[in-house]
Parts: sequence; structure tokens; C-alpha cells
Amino acid sequence: MIWVVKITFKVNGQPITLDVKPNELLINVLRDKLKLTGTKYVCGIGECGACTVLLDGEPILSCLTLAVDVNGKEVTTIEGISKNDELSEVQEAFMEEGAIQCGYCIPGFIIMSEYLLRINQKPTEEEIKEYLKGNLCRCTGYVNIIRAVKRASESRTTKTG
Amino acid sequence: MVDKVSFINSKTLRKDAFVKVRGLLKFTNDLEVPGMLIGRIVRSPYAFADIKSFDVSEAMRLGAVVITPDDVPQKPFNPRLVSVNEVTFKDHYVLTRKPRYVGDPIAAVAAPTEELAQKAAESIKFEVERVYEPVLDPFKAMSVESPLIHEKIMKGDEWIEVKNNVAATLNYVEGDVDKAFREADVVIERFFKTGKRYHMQLEPKAVLCVPEADDKITIYTTTQTIHNTRILIHQIFGIPLSKINVVKVPIGGSFGSSIQTNVLVPIAVALCLKARKPVKLTYTREEDMLDHSNFTFNFRIKIGAKKDGTLVGAEFENILDVGAHQIQPYPLLGTSLGWFVSLYKWRNIRYIGKAVYTNKVPGCALRGYGAPEVTWAVEVIMDELAEKLGIDPVDLRLKNYVGLGDVFWGQGPTVRSVIKSDGVPELLTKGKELIGWESRGRPEDKKGRFRRGIGVGRGFHTSGAGGPISGEVIDYSGAVLRLNEDGTLEYITALQDHGGGTLDAHVKIIAEELGVPPELISLATATTENTPYDVCTHASRGTYVGGEAARRAAQLVKQKIFEYATRLLNRVVNPEALKIRYDEEVKQTIIYVEGSPDIKITLKDLARTAWQRNWGTIAAIVSYRATSAPPSFTVYYVEVEVDTWTGKVRPVRVVAGADVGTPINRDLVEGQLHGGFAMAWGMAFIEDTPYNPETGELLSRGLITDYKIPTAQDIPRVEDFKVILANTYEPTGPFGAKGLGEAAMNPAVGAIANAVYNAIGVRIYELPMTPDKLLKAIKEKEGD
Ligand code: FES
Ligand code: FES
Repeated sequence: MIWVVKITFKVNGQPITLDVKPNELLINVLRDKLKLTGTKYVCGIGECGACTVLLDGEPILSCLTLAVDVNGKEVTTIEGISKNDELSEVQEAFMEEGAIQCGYCIPGFIIMSEYLLRINQKPTEEEIKEYLKGNLCRCTGYVNIIRAVKRASESRTTKTG
Repeated sequence: MVDKVSFINSKTLRKDAFVKVRGLLKFTNDLEVPGMLIGRIVRSPYAFADIKSFDVSEAMRLGAVVITPDDVPQKPFNPRLVSVNEVTFKDHYVLTRKPRYVGDPIAAVAAPTEELAQKAAESIKFEVERVYEPVLDPFKAMSVESPLIHEKIMKGDEWIEVKNNVAATLNYVEGDVDKAFREADVVIERFFKTGKRYHMQLEPKAVLCVPEADDKITIYTTTQTIHNTRILIHQIFGIPLSKINVVKVPIGGSFGSSIQTNVLVPIAVALCLKARKPVKLTYTREEDMLDHSNFTFNFRIKIGAKKDGTLVGAEFENILDVGAHQIQPYPLLGTSLGWFVSLYKWRNIRYIGKAVYTNKVPGCALRGYGAPEVTWAVEVIMDELAEKLGIDPVDLRLKNYVGLGDVFWGQGPTVRSVIKSDGVPELLTKGKELIGWESRGRPEDKKGRFRRGIGVGRGFHTSGAGGPISGEVIDYSGAVLRLNEDGTLEYITALQDHGGGTLDAHVKIIAEELGVPPELISLATATTENTPYDVCTHASRGTYVGGEAARRAAQLVKQKIFEYATRLLNRVVNPEALKIRYDEEVKQTIIYVEGSPDIKITLKDLARTAWQRNWGTIAAIVSYRATSAPPSFTVYYVEVEVDTWTGKVRPVRVVAGADVGTPINRDLVEGQLHGGFAMAWGMAFIEDTPYNPETGELLSRGLITDYKIPTAQDIPRVEDFKVILANTYEPTGPFGAKGLGEAAMNPAVGAIANAVYNAIGVRIYELPMTPDKLLKAIKEKEGD
């Protein structure tokens, strides 16, 4: 008999109830069961940041998180960042700054940048680098990604301030 | 006259950005079809062994579909089709009984779930006949005592015997080098060695193979070339090309890692044919690192010059470690020479190139195909020469570089053309000012723990591998362009965009030719069924070759538009009287007569009318071969800071200069340079994949914990990364454009290495320049 656990949690605002195995990883539940393939697998060992999602607003690596551990909590994936077709400032800024090349790393960067700007409206370049150093990108050389985060921070502060 | 709206010079957002920022773009790994099985590969735990037999009974009992070497065609192939057949060396098998590195695929399974597939794969047992000690050093591999990694391989359609583990050779002589060295005032000889870098493209390779109702198969896979994937599957399995359809799927970075048909494709096809069900195979990161990495280069370079800085001769010995199988090292011997001779006018040259087998992960092209390695070594030795001669390194380069009007053969001896655009002097001079070259100081005057230095490196890459003569390399492309019934357009090309924005450049080129805004031109899904042949996105040919194919398609479409317009606009004498442009006021593309503003029609009306009146679809299909492969020149000036206590190096400032002819998308050009620099930083200081000398296993075991690449913290401050573009126009390129992708990286490592020297006065000839090597060198120089 296969031992399964019933879990209930929210993904991008939607309540979900699922049977999962105790050792099942969140990344696989998101990608295979919920078809939210924007969360990317790159290393599976917590070294690249491509699988980052928000759990109750905090960034976590979904490749190192057991699905049972999200029971009763709220998960936000890249698919939940834009409301309907309206992009967030971070997403807009990534487009504007040419921060996207192949795009494989981008969901992880956007999630992390969203988080950073939520806790720190006006991060310095050093702070941006500190927060994004766990996300790998092989295409962009990071320059335009950092520009994008700065731009998003500026457009947020002008909007709110 | 109305000013023409220029799309080329306007900033546009890339077409795929909107889906990428929302995480909605589907890569191969994200695809699935009903009833699909999941495949797993069984890999050799031995670096060098012969297998006697397999026991797959447990896997069968678990209900898995199993294949071993007995179930697949035993005909050798080379996974990369780029050279013509006569010079293609073949030693790969879909599955092998003679594994030649730890990770060589020996069997495979497919089952309804990943878990079951994994169980089945682990249950397969095999008996070995012999296990040899791994041969990991190419020089040792060439000695007579070493066993042969492959005894017989195929060259074209002939079997040949391998001697001394030499996979391929290429020698070349021009002039009299010995005499040149005798007459030279200064001669320098150096040995260089590179690390075995792993591409670390973010997307692990994947494939989905689907059997169709009509005996066809459809393949979705990570690839830089859908057409060569199709041809290789045809060659291995004997399936007619018309029964194989390969669909172009977006790729999550590549840098050469998917320049060949990935070996998981034939494995998935074999599983799919046996199971008669769709099969998906995806690598774990660990498997991906066992699939491919770069070649390792061992150079001996000797150069001679006169007192005034005139180069007189060069000798270049290149021993390539190709790993266990050939993924086209033979053309790499040619391009290595090509990079070398096309950097500077050596005047007399002798080249000895050998590609050697070892029991390591097969080497494949990695961004630059040898150019970053060759350019690093040459730029370092040129710097040393300048110092010896007491000439400014920039002046020495300007005096000797291969430039305007010179014969150029970057892609090897059989691909020659003449240089028609050259931004080198402009880039070297401007960059010099921006970085503050004159105040860089001398290493002997620098003291203290943290020392800064400035270095220069210059280089180039070709724009494709075209040429006036059909040489040993295949290089042509194609495009399909169709005007829809509402005046929008559909563009289809087999050419893959690795993420650099090549296809956005194509769209802009079409936009410019037709006066249609890029938003109205869609990039339709490309398959091998609906596109003409394209060799591959390699050699930085995307914009130059593919872009010109697109421009020619647009030109043909334009001609037909004018023919239809002539019918619609009475009084117009013939199509030549017409012009096309985008009208900002009415926000429409209009076809008009110059000087008679009232004689005009919008493209939208024309398209609609042509449909309503049964005139037929306006479309073009183009197959295009470029007759040259012009160099895109790049120049790097880099300032670094070396911590002489820890051996750590930090980039302080970068000036990256590029001569890409007309930049079709300026911000994408800049992005390429940023990315190229970061990759160069990794090559210079961190990236290597060492092996366990006893077992032949990767020491990292494929975990990227032990394979670091540069992070956001390894780059200079944003405002300290300056990009300059040369003001040039390439007459043979679409709207004056050339390529960039690889040139963006090629000279950066040389510049970095020279900057390190300028800071601390030591040179490291073996990459990567890890802290321990730097500390040791500093210690040797300065004592304790
Ligand atoms: S896939 Fe989770 S950190 Fe890399
Ligand atoms: S854009 Fe390709 S890995 Fe970041």
C-alpha cells in the first residue's frame, strides 16, 4: 500500500486539496500535478534558485521543500505574480530592461525580486546582488537584471510615494 | 519626401518576453501528451569497460519497456552533422557495449511513471568482460602503452583504424617558419592549458517522442538544429525523412551544448518505436553534466617578431582532449587554426593539430568553438611580446591585426573571404580612453594587499560559416514569409533562438524591408515539415545568415505586393513605380507613388482585396547560402582587483566594445556582451570539471555545488560596465549587420588575464586561475 497524505493549501489564491506522498517534493507537485510549469527545475539541490516560489510571502526553494510542509499555507508561483494579464512592475521592468534572454531562470529571479522589493522598497545595488546571488543565470551576465530591479523599485516608489 | 520610419533603430520589446516573464513559455521538459511513458537511461559506472551481457528480467517484470545495445542499430554516427560526410568521424552508438566514460549510455527503459522507470533502470544488471584503467590524460593516451579507446571508427562511409588514440589530425604550413624564427629579433614560446568547462545551460536537455497514426514520429527536443536532428534520426534508424517531424521548441540556453543532436533523442526514438507509445526523457542536472562538456585545449605557441613589432612567424601546436567520443573535433582543429591565423598576420605559420580520445565526458562546442581559448592564449603571448619589445600592447595589436581588405578564414582553411568592415581601430582607441589605459601603471610599482590592474584583449568571431566555395562545412539557411488576408505576416524559420534575440532581429529586418511594424509579424511555430533546411544556429550566424534569408523573403513578398498594387492602383505604369512605408499618421503600411501622394493603398486593403478577388496568397520561401562569414570584432578592456592574501579577484570596471555592423537591436547586443563577460569570468577563474584519476568519475558527481558559475556578485557595478559599438556597416549583411553571440565572449579572458598580470606581475598559463594557483605564483615571485 502506498502511504499518502491529504494536504490542503492555496496556490496563487486558489484552494487546493491533494493526496501526496510523504516524500513528494513541492516542485513536482506544482509542475506535474498542478501543471504550473513556470517553476523550473535546474539542479534539484538548492543551488540555482530557478525553482523559487513564495510560501506565505517568504521565498523558498521548491526543490527542497516537501509538499506536506505547505499544508495550510499559501504558495505563490510565477503564474500568480501577474493579475489577469496585468504584469507587475517587476515583470514590466524585466521586459523593459532587456533582462530576459532564454528566460529559463527568469521565474526564479522575478519571484525573488518581488520579495526583495516587498521588504525593501529601495534596495542598493549591493543589496540587490546580495538577494539575487542565489539565482543563477547563464545568459544575461546579470547586468540588465540588476537594472530591472532598480527600475521596478523606482517605478514603485514613484507610484506609492 | 516623407521620412521613412526605421524599425531597426527603434527600441522594441522582445516578442517572447511577455510569456517569459509570466512563466508561460513551454520548454521541452514542460510538454506532455496523454499516455506518455517516462524514460530513464542506464549509464556505465565504468570509465573504460567491455560488457558481456545484460540481465533485464526484473525490469521486464516491473512492466517496463527495455532496450539494450541488441535492440538498437549498431551503426556508428557522429551526433553533430556539420562537416560534409567524407570528413565526419563516427564512433557513437545509440547504446554501447563498450562504455568509454563514466556515464556512457548502455541501456534504457520506459515506464508509465518516473518512479517505476527509475526502479526498472536500477534493476538492470550486466556482466563485464574487462575493465581497463581509465586514460584521462591526452598525452598519456597517445603513448603506445595505452589501450585503444576505440579501435575502429568510421570516416564518412569507410572504416578506419585508430592509432595511438588520435581521433583526428590537421596540419598546415604556410611560408618558412624556421627561417622566420632565425631572422626574428624576439621569439617567445609558451604552453597553455584550459579547464574542461561545462556549459551549465540552465535547461537540462529533454526530448519527447510521439508516434503518430500514419507511421510518422514527432520529436520535440532541446536542440539548436531541428533539421539535423531529423537527418540523424533518419540515418540511424532508416526512417524516411518524410516520416519524421521535428518541432522547434524554445531552448533554455545552449552555448553549443545542443549543437549536436543530443544522444537522448535516438534513445527516446528507440524506446518509442519499441513501446509504440510517446516517450519523454529528461536529464537530471547530474546526467546533463555527464552528457557533455567542453573540449580541453593544450597549446604550444611560439611567435617571432622584429624589433619594430612586425610579426614574422608563428608555430601553433594544439592537442585537443576530445573525451570518449567525437562530437566534431575535426572541424575544431580547423577553426582553432582559423581563429589563430585570423587574429594576427603571422606571415609564416606551422600548425600541428591533434584531437585525442580520453575516457572523459565527450567534448562538444562551447560558445566560441575554441575561439575563447585560442584568443586567450594569443592575447596573453601578444602582451608578453609587447612588453619584451617595449611597445604599447594596443599599438602592437593595431600594427599586426587582420583587418579591412585582408583575407580572413576564421572558420578554417576551407572557408575564406575578404574583410569589408572593420571597427577595430575605433574600438581600441575609444576603449583605451574610457578605461584610462595610460594611467594603468606597471606591476612592479604596485604594492599592498589589494592591487588593481588593467588589461586588453581583442578578438572576433565569424558571422556563420559561409563562403564563396563549398568547403568542408555545411552552412545555409532558409525562411518562409506569408502575408495574411488581414495584412499581418507570418514568418517561419528553422533557425533556433538561444535566447539572444536572433529571431527578434529577423522580425525587425522584415519590418524594415516591408514597412510593417514588428508587432504585426508573428513568429510561427517551425517544424522540419514547414521550413527549408537550416544547418544550425552556430558560429554566430543567426543574424547575418538567417537575417539575410529573412530579408530576401521580405523582398520577394514586397515584389508581389507591388504587382498586386499595380493592378489595384490604376495609372501606375508598373511595380517599379511603387514604394512601401509605414505611415505614422494613419498607423498603416502604405504602398504609394513617390511625389503623387493621392495614389496609394494600405497593405491591409491590398491583402484583403487580393483574397476577395481570388488572386492567391502572397508568400515566399527562400533558401540562402552566404558567400562570406565576416568577422564581428570585439575588444575588452578590463580592470581587476587582486587580493594578494586570498588569491581572489574582483572585476572593477569593464569596457566592452563590439563591431557588429549595424546593431539591429542595441539592447540585445549589450545583453550579449554582459553575458559573454560573465561567462569569460567563469572560464578565467572558476570553471573546470576535474576527474577522479582512479575511477574516471567526475569529482563533482554532476552536482553543481562543485561547479560554480559566476553569480550576480561576480560582476562589476552596473555603471562600471560600459559598452561601445563601432560605427561600421557590413555591405554583405542584412542592413549592414553582422553576428555577435560568440564574439561577445572571445577576447574577454585574454583581457582579464592581462589585467591580472598588470596588477600582480604574474601570469598563469593554466585555466582556471584559481586562488591557489594565483597565491602560489605570487609567493614564487615575491617570496614569503
Ligand atoms: S532547482 Fe531548486 S535550487 Fe535549483
Ligand atoms: S536568461 Fe537564460 S539563464 Fe537567465
